[in-house]
Amino acid sequence: MEVLKEKVEEEEAAEREEAAVRAERGEKMTRPVEVRREEAPMTQEMLRDLEKKLSDIDLAIPEKPSTFTKDTIDISNLPVSYQSNTLKEEHLLQVADNFSRQYNHLCPDRVPLFLHPLNECEVPKFVSTTIRPTLMPYPELYNWDTCAQFVSDFLSMVPLPDPLKPPPYLYSSTTVLKYQKGNCFDYSTLLCSMLLGAGYDAYCVNGYASQDMCQMDLTRDVCPLTLKHQEVVQEKEKVPPKKYTIKPPRDLTSRFEQEQETKKQEETKAEEQRRLREEEEHLLDVEKAKTDPLHGLRVHSWVLVLSGKREVPESFFIDSLTARSYSNQDDHFLGIESLWNHKNYWVNMQDCWNCCKDLVFDLGDPVRWEYLLLGAEKSHLSLTEEEEDALNDDYDVENLGKEDEDKSFDMPSSWVEQIEISPEAFETRCPNGKKVIQYKRAKLEKWAPYLNSNGLVCCLTTYEDLECTETLEIKEWFQNREDMLELKHINKRTGLNIDYFKPGHPQALRMHSYKSMQPEMDRVMEFYDRARVDGLVKREETPKTMTEYYRGRADFLSYRHVNFGDRVKKLALNSAESNPRPMVKITERFDRNPEKPADEDVAERVFLILDERIQLRYHCRDDHITASKREFLRRTEVDSKGNKIVMTPDMCISFEVEPMEHTKKLLYQYEAMMKLRNEEKLSRHQAWESELEVLEILKLREEEEEEHKLTISIYDTKRNEKSKEYREAMERVMHEEHLRQMEAQLDYLAPFLAQLPPNEKMTRWQAMRVKDECLSDFKQRLIDKANLIQARFEKETQELQKKQQWYQENQVTLTAEDEDLYLSYCSQAMFRIRILEQRLNRHKELAPLKYLALEEKLYKDPRLVEFMKVFV
Amino acid sequence: MNRPYNSMEPRVMDEDMLKLAVGEQGPRDEARQLARQEGILFKDVLSLRLDFQNILRIDGLWQFENLRKLQLDNNIIEKIEGLEHLVHLVWLDLSFNNIEAIEGLDTLVNLEDLSLFNNRISKIDSLDGLVKLQVLSLGNNNISHMMNIIYLRQFKDLRTLSLSGNPIAEAEDYKMFICAYLPDLVYLDFRRIDDHMKELAEIKYQYAIDELKQREHLIQVRLEEEQARREELEEHKAAFVEHLNGSFLFDSMYAEDTEGNKLAHLPGVSELLQAYKDKFVIICLNIFEYGLKQQEKRKVELDTFKECVQEAIQENQEQGKHRIAKFEEKHLLNLNAIRDESELSSFEMKIAEYSQDVSELFNVLMTLEMQLVEQLEETINMFERNITDLVALFIENVQSLMAQCRDLENHHHEKLLEIAINTLEKILKGELDEDLPEDARALFVDKDTIVNAVGTSHDLHLLKIDNREDELVTRTNSWCSHLVDTIHKDEITRNRRRVKEINQYIDHMQNELDNLECSEIID
Repeated sequence: MEVLKEKVEEEEAAEREEAAVRAERGEKMTRPVEVRREEAPMTQEMLRDLEKKLSDIDLAIPEKPSTFTKDTIDISNLPVSYQSNTLKEEHLLQVADNFSRQYNHLCPDRVPLFLHPLNECEVPKFVSTTIRPTLMPYPELYNWDTCAQFVSDFLSMVPLPDPLKPPPYLYSSTTVLKYQKGNCFDYSTLLCSMLLGAGYDAYCVNGYASQDMCQMDLTRDVCPLTLKHQEVVQEKEKVPPKKYTIKPPRDLTSRFEQEQETKKQEETKAEEQRRLREEEEHLLDVEKAKTDPLHGLRVHSWVLVLSGKREVPESFFIDSLTARSYSNQDDHFLGIESLWNHKNYWVNMQDCWNCCKDLVFDLGDPVRWEYLLLGAEKSHLSLTEEEEDALNDDYDVENLGKEDEDKSFDMPSSWVEQIEISPEAFETRCPNGKKVIQYKRAKLEKWAPYLNSNGLVCCLTTYEDLECTETLEIKEWFQNREDMLELKHINKRTGLNIDYFKPGHPQALRMHSYKSMQPEMDRVMEFYDRARVDGLVKREETPKTMTEYYRGRADFLSYRHVNFGDRVKKLALNSAESNPRPMVKITERFDRNPEKPADEDVAERVFLILDERIQLRYHCRDDHITASKREFLRRTEVDSKGNKIVMTPDMCISFEVEPMEHTKKLLYQYEAMMKLRNEEKLSRHQAWESELEVLEILKLREEEEEEHKLTISIYDTKRNEKSKEYREAMERVMHEEHLRQMEAQLDYLAPFLAQLPPNEKMTRWQAMRVKDECLSDFKQRLIDKANLIQARFEKETQELQKKQQWYQENQVTLTAEDEDLYLSYCSQAMFRIRILEQRLNRHKELAPLKYLALEEKLYKDPRLVEFMKVFV
Repeated sequence: MNRPYNSMEPRVMDEDMLKLAVGEQGPRDEARQLARQEGILFKDVLSLRLDFQNILRIDGLWQFENLRKLQLDNNIIEKIEGLEHLVHLVWLDLSFNNIEAIEGLDTLVNLEDLSLFNNRISKIDSLDGLVKLQVLSLGNNNISHMMNIIYLRQFKDLRTLSLSGNPIAEAEDYKMFICAYLPDLVYLDFRRIDDHMKELAEIKYQYAIDELKQREHLIQVRLEEEQARREELEEHKAAFVEHLNGSFLFDSMYAEDTEGNKLAHLPGVSELLQAYKDKFVIICLNIFEYGLKQQEKRKVELDTFKECVQEAIQENQEQGKHRIAKFEEKHLLNLNAIRDESELSSFEMKIAEYSQDVSELFNVLMTLEMQLVEQLEETINMFERNITDLVALFIENVQSLMAQCRDLENHHHEKLLEIAINTLEKILKGELDEDLPEDARALFVDKDTIVNAVGTSHDLHLLKIDNREDELVTRTNSWCSHLVDTIHKDEITRNRRRVKEINQYIDHMQNELDNLECSEIID
């Protein structure tokens, strides 16, 4: 302990100096620990009051600490390692006590170390041995984030009995998992065990943290789910201008004016920013919590992950209660007393005046971290500062020499049983499958899959205000829905609902955003276009229009826009199906068909149905800037002679980029127009079908919402009824098969063979005798059986006769009850006699057959067959 | 061939007959009125049927240049002719005629369906041009040799074949044979070939077909090699250094040089010649490699240039399109507004406004075009400068290398002269121990003769080198000037076309406007 002493002396010297300096300058003390130490006694009563107040505030936490005390834990079934200490553990405890004594002696102003709290059986256990590194069999638990999330979800938090002290008890992780409750130390121990098992360099930390952190109060944190992923703007790599890139046209604008303009813009921007900042500050002020009088005193436990293993680039903290990761510089963590893993225990000798920001996590450095056991972790020594390195080596050598005798032993293996999580528990996750987390302006609810009948697994409610009264929007996540609904997004302010679907909806729906389920309202439907025959990607509707977007169609249609007119009023019927709205205009756009020349490939066609006008616009040629156009006007007129005019030149106005001869012909135009009219009919029909489809989808959606069936994977053996039945049937069949085999194995020859001298080959004579004996034995058995039945039968008959005699003699004196008794006896006896008679008859019939069957079997018996052959 | 109309006179395919057929087979109902009004041009006809017309000779079909389908069945045609111009033909029916040989079909590369049913054909050939052939009907003909089938292997798309009614179809293994040799065939004689049959046939003729395949494969490989070689040479030619990657030039120098060959027999000359050749070939190889490298450079230069020009034009087009789209949007609104306008004064105002818009559009488009022209001109000039420099550098370096060749030749000449004079002296002194061939010895009569001989050889060599150099230089220069000319010309054409396009569009717009005005005034 000389090292320690020296250090302490140094520290004390430094402190004294510091104190002197401080006294000179009259500065306030900035070390939270020190502040606590000196101020605490003065405000004892205040503290108590505050504690009371705080406990009042903490009403939101449903589980009271008392519910998870030792009384509720059944310790009778715990293994021996839980209930007693081994010799090695005893030794370790002694070492720890020794260490603690020296430490207290050297650093009297620091709180006692958290070394060996009692476990559930009231046995003191060293904290390191409570960690049981375990790799979970679930691939989801291989990474730290999912692991932490699981621990945070799986357990429910119980506050520390005394928020200013480490708990007196530290239960095993198995117990914690069983009851799904624990304080922050239990959380950290479990998480640390799992992380160590997964190969991380993880440590449990005993330290001080902010109030929010200790009470798992997330109401001042923004929910991670509400954070929008900021789209990383990929900066386009500027292509270096090629050698022959043309020079831009000369810029003729005034540079001075430009400058003035930019200046003005910058000014306005700055103004805007200032305003924004002010607003933000204002908001922050409102939101800022009242200062915590116990700031810096609250004990908390979390997990430290050091860089190096599992490709962790930088050390970080994980708050095991909330499963969030923080950098080592975070403001929430106010100080560290000690930390430990399954191998060793380190005490922090660094100053925590600036929270954890200045701490160096180089555990091999004995000046900063005092270790309990020698020999385990030395590789951490940072090799950058060579001088110090050499110095430390010296110390190490000294230490080795002096403390080798009593301290050079490994940490005993953990007393905790293997940590196990059943698949059911893993799936259910949260205690009772439900968990609610309150965030700033948001509430997150989680459920286990299949817990809710509509498949709801997660619900995030966002509020407008801090008090969570005005709902802003609701997001609901679903799982295992038969209609493949994945996420429902309800915006309360605009009333807009958006449903998102996974691939597999019967109508290939991908997204449906609507305000009401009534048809002919504003709505957008997106589809998985690959799953649809018509390649529909999106359909947008407003009360008067419908727009459809297509992709990958053989006819290159990419867009159709339909304008509807007012519905013609009809009496009685007014539903959309019976009385479709008249279409006023249909606009269709096509992609370029590479097989056609551009002048014949229509890019856009507009059917103005009321005007009987059709407008065509063709695609633009590659090296042109103008595109051909054509407009057909259909008028049926009659000429002076009364003949119908089929086509006149003014019925088709066209502009052609390169005038061609054949397109000028009336015949060509006539044919084109006829074709277009057919296509118009087709388009109208398709638009009408689209309308119908919308109705159908809406109906289907309503049905699905009502039914909300859940699918069960065929691999889910627990829930899938069919597979369960099948499996049970299989098992039954197997069982029956087994029984039958057992029966078949009954050996009728065994008793007779046993009589023969062992290990000798049977002679023919012996074989014959065995056979005969077996047969005669069987015959005897059959006869015995027959006799037995006969005897019973006779006995029964006699008894009946006796009874009848008795009845006839006493018939007069009998009471009604006795008579009833007699009658019932008679009928029963008669029944028995009849049964016995039947059995006897049956036996008589079957006996010879059975005998013959046995004889046959014996002839065929493999052990006797060779001897029998001769006689056959 | 007992046809009821056999007694009829053979008819000639004249204008009237064609017109009649076209008219009959033209559009129906209302469209027929229109067709009659306007008349149908032969070149607009896509399909024509001329069956049972007793035609003896195909004639007068050259006008039907867009014909897709032609039926000439049930005539008495004896020779396939006059179909050369119908290159778009897809469907040709010549069944029930008296044709004896397949011919005159080479230009019909689009033909997919050919029927020659019931003719007198005895050999399948002259179909090489019909690469898209899918259906071939040759039933009821005189084909008797099985080897005709192998000819059909080259048609990769052939799926349907009919050969029934030919002597060949009598053969016992006729079906098997065809299935084996034409594995892609699906229908034979109007029946689907079942898979079982195919398998059997494959097994039966496996060896023969493997052999055939091997042969075809060899031919294919040879063709490909030939092709590769040709391409390589083409590439070298593009680099202007063909035949310089070896001793071609050197060999050509000595090919016509009788004196030089004679002198090669002199003692010590063969070693000298060998050393000379080695050095010469090395220089040639240098030129060759340098040429390829320069070619690569020029190509990169040209590609960059083209790419940049293309980009510039593309961008300009996009701008133009954007302008026009914007204008048209406005135009549509304007037009409607003008149509709805009833008051004369505001109508006129709107018309004026509209015409102003049109002229503004014209100005904008033309400005864009002028801008592009200027930009391109600058770029083109730059490219021209660079490419000329490159070519000049190339020529200069090649010339210096060629000069090295000449030096070598001069050096060799001196050496050779020395040896020759020495030999002459030796011969004169009678000291020569080696044997010389008679014709070589004939040169050593006196000094003049030998010097002349050596000189002739030298001159010849120099001439060859000069020729090669000249060829290279001229070709390079002409390539360069041609390239530059083309680029200029292309740019001018592009500009003309664009200006024409803009004018046309603006004219159209103006016309529409005028029409509006007129109609309004009439109203």
